[in-house]
This record gives sequence, C-alpha cells and structure tokens, in this order.
Amino acid sequence: MRRWPTTIYLGGAVLALILLATIGAPWLMSAHPNTQVLSDRLLPSSTKHLLGTDHLGRDLLARLIYGGRFSLLLTITSVIVAAVVGTGLGALAGWLGGLWDEMLMRLVDLLIVFPGIIMALVIAALLEPGFGTLLLALTITGWTPYARLARALTLEVGTMPYLEAARALGVSQFRIINRHVIPNIIGPLLAMSFLRFGHVLLTIAGLSYLGLGAQPPTPDWGAMIAEALPYMQRVPLLLFVPSLAIFLTAFSVTIVGQGLMLLFDPKQRRL
Amino acid sequence: MTNQLLRRLTLLPLILFVASLVIFLLPYATGVDSTMAVIRARVGERVLTEESIERLRVELNLDQGLPVQYMQWVGRFARGDLGFSYVSRAPVREIILRGLRVTSTLSIMALLLAIGIALPLGMWAAMRPGSWIDFVVTLTSQIGVAIPQYVMAPLLILLFAVWLDWLPTAGWRGPLFMILPALTLTMRPLAYFTQTTRAAMLEVLNADYIRTARGKGLSPGLLVRRHALRNALIPVVTLCTLWLAALLGGSVIVEVIFAIPGLGRIIYDAVLAGDIPLIQAGLMVIVAFAILINTLTDLLYIVLNPAIQLGDHSV
Repeated sequence: MRRWPTTIYLGGAVLALILLATIGAPWLMSAHPNTQVLSDRLLPSSTKHLLGTDHLGRDLLARLIYGGRFSLLLTITSVIVAAVVGTGLGALAGWLGGLWDEMLMRLVDLLIVFPGIIMALVIAALLEPGFGTLLLALTITGWTPYARLARALTLEVGTMPYLEAARALGVSQFRIINRHVIPNIIGPLLAMSFLRFGHVLLTIAGLSYLGLGAQPPTPDWGAMIAEALPYMQRVPLLLFVPSLAIFLTAFSVTIVGQGLMLLFDPKQRRL
Repeated sequence: MTNQLLRRLTLLPLILFVASLVIFLLPYATGVDSTMAVIRARVGERVLTEESIERLRVELNLDQGLPVQYMQWVGRFARGDLGFSYVSRAPVREIILRGLRVTSTLSIMALLLAIGIALPLGMWAAMRPGSWIDFVVTLTSQIGVAIPQYVMAPLLILLFAVWLDWLPTAGWRGPLFMILPALTLTMRPLAYFTQTTRAAMLEVLNADYIRTARGKGLSPGLLVRRHALRNALIPVVTLCTLWLAALLGGSVIVEVIFAIPGLGRIIYDAVLAGDIPLIQAGLMVIVAFAILINTLTDLLYIVLNPAIQLGDHSV
C-alpha cells in the first residue's frame, strides 16, 4: 500500500477535534446553551461571553459547541445504517446474481429518481420532525449509492482466482462473503462513507435551517444560521460562527474521503 | 446496442408507474387524514359539523377507496388536469407550471455558469498536474463541495446586498434578482464539474493514443482540441444531465432564502400547509423529470460509448 495522502491526516485531525468538542461539550462549557438572559441580547464578545450572545441572550460559544450534537449524531447513525444496509444488499445482489440482482437494482433505479432533500422534507413534515423521522427519511434514499458500489465491487472481486479456489475447497457462501468478499471491497466503501457523510450532514443542517430538523430550543448549526439572518447586519458573527462550523466539518470529512478514494482506487494510484 | 436501448426504454413506463404509486400513497402512508388536512388548510382550526365534513369528503372524492382515488388521479394527471389546491383553490397545473418556469430558468443559468467556468479550469489543472495551479484548483473545488446553499446565500446577501448594496437581497422581479441565487446554486455543480473534468482529462492525457499523437509532434493545443477533449467530455456530459435533475429538485433552500416563487418553494409551502394535491403534483413533476433525464443519460452513454453494457455490468 502506498503512502497515505497528507489530506487524510489533516482532515482527520480537524474532524477529531470537532467530534471531541461536541462529545465533551458539557465538560468544556460552563454556560448552558439554552439559558436566556434577555437583558444580554446581541452582546459583543467579552470575557464572560467569548463570542458574544445571540438574539435571546444565549451564549454563542456554548451554542456553537453544543450545536453539532444533533446533526453529527444523526449523520453518523444515518451513514452507518445506510452503509450497512446498502453494502449488504449490494454485495448479496452481486453475489447471487439472476432475479435477486435484477429486482434489487431496479429498486435502486426507482429510488435514485427521488431527490433526497425534497423526500426528507416531505417525510419530515408529514410525520413529526425529529431524530427517528429524519433517520428514516435519510435512509430510504441513502442506501442506494452503497448498494451500487458494493455490487460492482463484488462482481469484480467475484471473478478473482482466490475466490474460485475458496469455492473449489467447499467454503460456505456466508464464510466466503464474510472472509473474502467484504474485506476486499471495504476500502472504496469506506471512502464513499466519508464522502456521503459530508453530503448527509449538509442535508440535515439544511433541514434544520428550514425548521424541519432539530427543533428549538435545541442548539443546531443549521437552525442557528436561520436564526441569525434578521440580525446579520448588526452582528455578523452570529452568521459566521455556525457557517464556519458546518463548512469546516464538511470540508475535513470531504478531504478525508477523497484522500481515501485516491488510496483505494487502483487507477488513480499510477498518477 | 439496439437491445440495450430497447431494454432501457421498456423500463421507463414501469419506473414511472411505480414512482407515481409511491408519490400518490406517500401522504396517506404517513397517516394524514386528508379531509381534516383540507379543513385545516382552508379554514384554520375552526370547528365544523360532522355533516359538512362528510360533504367535503364526497366533494373531493375522498369517500372512495384509495385504488379508485389513485386511478382517478393518474387519469386526470395524464390529461394534464392536476386538480385544485386545498389552500388557494387555484388549479394546481397553473401553480406548478409557473413554478417550473422559474426553477428551470434558475437551474439552467446555474448549470451554464458551472460548465463555462469548470471546463477551462479543470482542463487547465489537468494539463499541469502537480503544479501550484493544479493545487489551487483542486483545493478550491474541495472547498466548493463543502459550502452548502444556506451558508453561501447569506454570505452573498451580506456582502453584495447589505454591505456593497449592488444587488437586491431577495425577490424575483428581473435579471438583477437572478444573480445571487444563480451564484449560490452554481457552487456545488461547479466544484464537482471541475473535479470530474480534471480527472477525465488526466486519464485521457495518459492514454496511449495521446502519447502517439504527441510523439508525432502534434502541438499541445491541437492535441487537446482534436484528440483529448472529445473523450474527456463523456463523463462531464453525463454529470451535467444528472445535475440538471438534481437542481430542479434541489433548489428549495435557495428559493426559500431568496423568496423565489419556484417549484421547490411551492412544495415547501404545500408541505407546511398539508396541501396534498400540490405536494403530489409537485413531487410527480420533479420525479418524472428525473426519470426522463436519467433515461436520456443512459441512452446517451450507450450511444457515446458502445463498450458499456447496461444491466449485468453497469455500475
């Protein structure tokens, strides 16, 4: 295996910092993100409030640190569920072939025409917006890219001589998939998971922005941008802070994903 | 090749049918009582008698079973009659067409802008791999992928509308109003097009026939224009068509931020108001476009590159 691209370390370090701060929020921050002090509205930064306060007098730094909890947890859960379901079904389709393969791939063809954000919007609004609803809405359309990739990779791996050898030795199907197929296709799927992570995070924050994701008063980066709009001329920081948080997370996860793709794509390796 | 084309075309009505079924049932699957939705949409929370509720049920054909309702819906849809909005009682067809005109204008502007910038940029980077130009282009496109519309749009508004006061903040009353939304929408496709152009161009430039052409002493400009560009464009063209579908269905946030009366905004408002006929019709139009565009892309792929096999080995 060739040297890992530096972007993986760089993006990984930023991502780790963001995740640590998000998980450690209660220990890092003494201020509570939902404590309103209406006499302290829209304050500039001070020693008491390092980044100032928002339109309800809540500490902006506390809301920033707590603001990733809903989106990031939902993103991670959704990416894991979609990856497991998609990879499982895709690998199975590629392995079994025939009618199973045909049916599953037509289902993928069908789901792929439903635009993700609109579907999530409709489902989230018709059911009650919340963690479970959003997870459902994101997973229904989210597993298809993994299925396509896993199926293509399985077809590719399936023709390899070592699999023929394993089959000739009478190794069970389950064991072949578990021991030989999955380890050989996990790399590109991991790369895709990171790239999808960025995409899903941006979708969830977008739904929060539209008021259909995290519900108030839950601090959330997407909702913080929407709340900042009426005040952005007076206190631009209210807009910049959550924007930067969303961008940095999406950016670091993307460069890790693209780095992994470079690492696992045999065609790119030559360049 | 003819076989593949036929196979793809026979799938088209099947996918349309299943998609329409899913869209029709979606509001019901979530347990919404459509009669109550109408009442809420029309008269707010005012109390109504059992009798008037029943009359409304009959008036809107909601007393029939779902299969009957579905057949009626599809039949009317095929004739271009999309029913009436629960909220405004205006014909859904007019509302959707008006929104579609706005959204398609915006999407095509964003797409053309993205192609116009991404093609030269990606090619420029690919011709000097590893140089600082390549580094800057790659980094910029990675940044572009990570900036969502709801981050880009407020920043553009703050800079160009509030601080510089060059452009209007929101609305849809002329060409000036289109600039900021189009800029916002173009960011992500621009970033992806640049990356795809660069990667495709790099791959082609490393191909044997290019090396031969270079060995014959062909000038770099002619080499790119005559030999490399055509083959490098195939993945970019397919990506473009897919993005057209994505933009038509994905402009909701931009339309909400800039108060643009497009299709995304119409569906968003309909969703919040529980206006089921409008939700169904809006989704159906977007999905039908996506199906048509996907099919066209597949056909284009088959025609441009006969080596690709649909079905068993398609990725």
